[in-house]
Amino acid sequence: MPSAVYIVGRGVISALGDDLSGNRQSLLQSQAGIKAITRLNTRYSEMLPAAEVPHTNEALAAMADMPVTTTRTALLSMIAAKEAFDSFQLPDKLNYRAGFISANTVGGMDKTEDFMKEFAVDTTKGKLHDVIHHDCGAATELVAEKLGITEVVTTISTACSSAANAMIYAARLIRNGYLDWAIAGGTDALSRFTINGFNSLMILDNELCRPFDDTRKGLNLGEGAGYVVLASEKIVAQLAQQPTVKLSGFANANDAFHQTASSPEGRGNFDAMSGALAEAGLQPADIDYINLHGTGTANNDSSEGIAISRLFGKDLPYLSSTKTYTGHTLAACGGIEAIYSTLAIEEGVVFPNLRFQHQMKELEFEPQICLLEGKEIRHVLSNSFGFGGNCTSLIFSKVNE
Amino acid sequence: MQELISTLKQQIVEQLNLKHIKPEEIGDDQPLFVDGLGLDSIDALELIVLLQQKYGIKLANPEEGPKVFHTVRALAEFITANQKK
Amino acid sequence: MNKELYINGIGAISPQKTFDNSVFLEEVLSYSTNKMMCVDPDYSLFFDGRAIRRMSRILKFGIAAAMIAIEDAGKPELDAISTGTGFGCLEDSEIFLRNIVAENEGVVSPTPFIQSTHNTVSGQIALLLKCQKSNNTFSHKGFSFESALLDARLNALDYNVQQNFLVGSSDEVSTASYAIMSRMNIFRKEPCDNLAQLASSGKGVIAGEGAAYVVLGKAATENTYGRFVDVKMISNPKDEATIEKAIHAFLALHELSLKDVDIVISGLCGDESRDTLLKHCNEKVYTEQTIVGFKHLCGEYMTASSFAVWLGAKMLKTQQVPESVVLRNTARTPKTILIHNAYKTSHSLILLKQ
Repeated sequence: MPSAVYIVGRGVISALGDDLSGNRQSLLQSQAGIKAITRLNTRYSEMLPAAEVPHTNEALAAMADMPVTTTRTALLSMIAAKEAFDSFQLPDKLNYRAGFISANTVGGMDKTEDFMKEFAVDTTKGKLHDVIHHDCGAATELVAEKLGITEVVTTISTACSSAANAMIYAARLIRNGYLDWAIAGGTDALSRFTINGFNSLMILDNELCRPFDDTRKGLNLGEGAGYVVLASEKIVAQLAQQPTVKLSGFANANDAFHQTASSPEGRGNFDAMSGALAEAGLQPADIDYINLHGTGTANNDSSEGIAISRLFGKDLPYLSSTKTYTGHTLAACGGIEAIYSTLAIEEGVVFPNLRFQHQMKELEFEPQICLLEGKEIRHVLSNSFGFGGNCTSLIFSKVNE
Repeated sequence: MQELISTLKQQIVEQLNLKHIKPEEIGDDQPLFVDGLGLDSIDALELIVLLQQKYGIKLANPEEGPKVFHTVRALAEFITANQKK
Repeated sequence: MNKELYINGIGAISPQKTFDNSVFLEEVLSYSTNKMMCVDPDYSLFFDGRAIRRMSRILKFGIAAAMIAIEDAGKPELDAISTGTGFGCLEDSEIFLRNIVAENEGVVSPTPFIQSTHNTVSGQIALLLKCQKSNNTFSHKGFSFESALLDARLNALDYNVQQNFLVGSSDEVSTASYAIMSRMNIFRKEPCDNLAQLASSGKGVIAGEGAAYVVLGKAATENTYGRFVDVKMISNPKDEATIEKAIHAFLALHELSLKDVDIVISGLCGDESRDTLLKHCNEKVYTEQTIVGFKHLCGEYMTASSFAVWLGAKMLKTQQVPESVVLRNTARTPKTILIHNAYKTSHSLILLKQ
């Protein structure tokens, strides 16, 4: 049995709040963060709702203590990663081998698309400063440098499963002795590039998204960042306060069916979930709650639901998609939802799948529709599936379970 | 109608970058998807773009795609019917 | 338990004619511009007309390089696919961005958006092979390919069973990236000769691109080139002492010292300011080794180190060091090879053995 990897710190920023307590409060009050777009300059601002972090770049830069010219992707990353870093109570933590494994899908696209307005007309125009942080690695580098992390610093970009894969990579580096601890998760800022991209695929809902509802029409985009601090047993032994949650299982699989669509039977989804269970040494019946990928597209929810039915049979755990609150934050969602999974375990709660009304025809189950409190939640399965067939599942468990 | 059909064939080849096929090789009644010309769901989205850009017709529901784009003739009939409105 | 990985297949598409594994740099192409682009094989041998029609250059050369490596390895079933890409699919990103501007966010074609995703190459390889196993894409500047290699190393350490992993990288020069980086004064200004690039000191690099993949297996085969031992990334080494310490520590971890290293494949790029630390190492640290360069053949890009792995694997198998890559010859036979690359301030060490 490989040694366990523990969650010893957390940080998150999303439309629900600027930090962990803000997110927790919105979740417990069933307050979604999806609205008309006000900050991003796009012609779809009134047509396509999204879950924006309700701050200007100036405000975020002040929170992150970074220049206002920094890409929004990096600003969001810095705010959440710093919260995670600070919440990790280990003296002299930078004296250990520390990693920063982050994820994003479009790097500094929020600045590149401003640059492109002028560059598209005349290639000698456009402010070069706007494109120096275009690549995915740039945001990660800026944050790692500011936090003082150097041992392993890298970026994963596997579409919507990115942050979940970042956590797997960090956990394996720790297990194999390459690192003592690591901050892992993801970040993505809302951009015209992604809004127009998903809109061209006709999978954006012009109303609030309805994951796992028979009337669902698509997803709402969101933005944010979420990171956990993962640490080895050796590090945990030195902590004054013992962690309550560990990352007990994970699996990365591929659907190998289509570039953007899931196979009807969700074979990659099935492989990811069953692989994570095997890695954790658990049975389907051990899972108390599934934090669904649940984007609200016809295709995802159907494939994911069918794969869950195949794996879990009729005895299903509680299920909900917290994208009903945060929208789909792309590379960040695996990180944000990992944090929500740890909250579910710590506080014995299941967050509801908001706005659910109609059971899907192809499924025999419906998601959890109201907040559950006072439950014993020992094991949570968190799903993140994406373009390119990428399917990843993580299992978070109560320590000593 | 025949003129529209032949224009459409050229536009389809161009929009979908079907370099290995000549427009005249596409049959008027040949199914465009799966076993016919072998187009897929991404092509369906591209054809929706073509309809909107070249004919000003907006197909709001992508699920209508397979019926509207079944054959070049079906597409031509759909365009003719919707442009009259 | 044997945790080493054998290089059982290789494939590279680069500005040299590397796509044919039966030859080894017998002909070297010279360029007189500050941009080197891939020499294309006949892609119709790899893809049918329907598959190829949506593929940008990076997809074609990336996927084809992977296919060459898999074929070379005897088509083993793969247990993981990992790709590194510094900039991802630049050309498709650029087309989609331009369309958004041109149409003022109106009706835009979805294909370039779909193809712009960084994991497109790895995902397409899985799709073509129907491979449902682990699939990863790393995009982190000069550590993109190294992170993918480390992913394979972790796989080898994690699972005690016979497995095969596909690891590689792809990066392309696009019209926009070339124009933008030219404005940033990254490339050589004066007309240049790539073959003399590493000998001449100057300002600026030659833009490069390419894809290289290796199939790494836990068991040797008849086709084995050599072994991939380990990879180490060194972020922003602040001085000469820091890099020297890291080199010694990395070798010591594998019970080696410098005298055991026969060949150093050095990532010199021909830009004085970028090459300072590498030059120091070549002169003061790697004193007994044959020093080999490679960026005069493939140009400078974030994942050029995968070309160096291709080169190292070829040298191990053929036991030849082509004249066209030698910067300093100490007549050592290639048994143990250390690749020391640098992309700006990101240094990496990759250890290969016979």
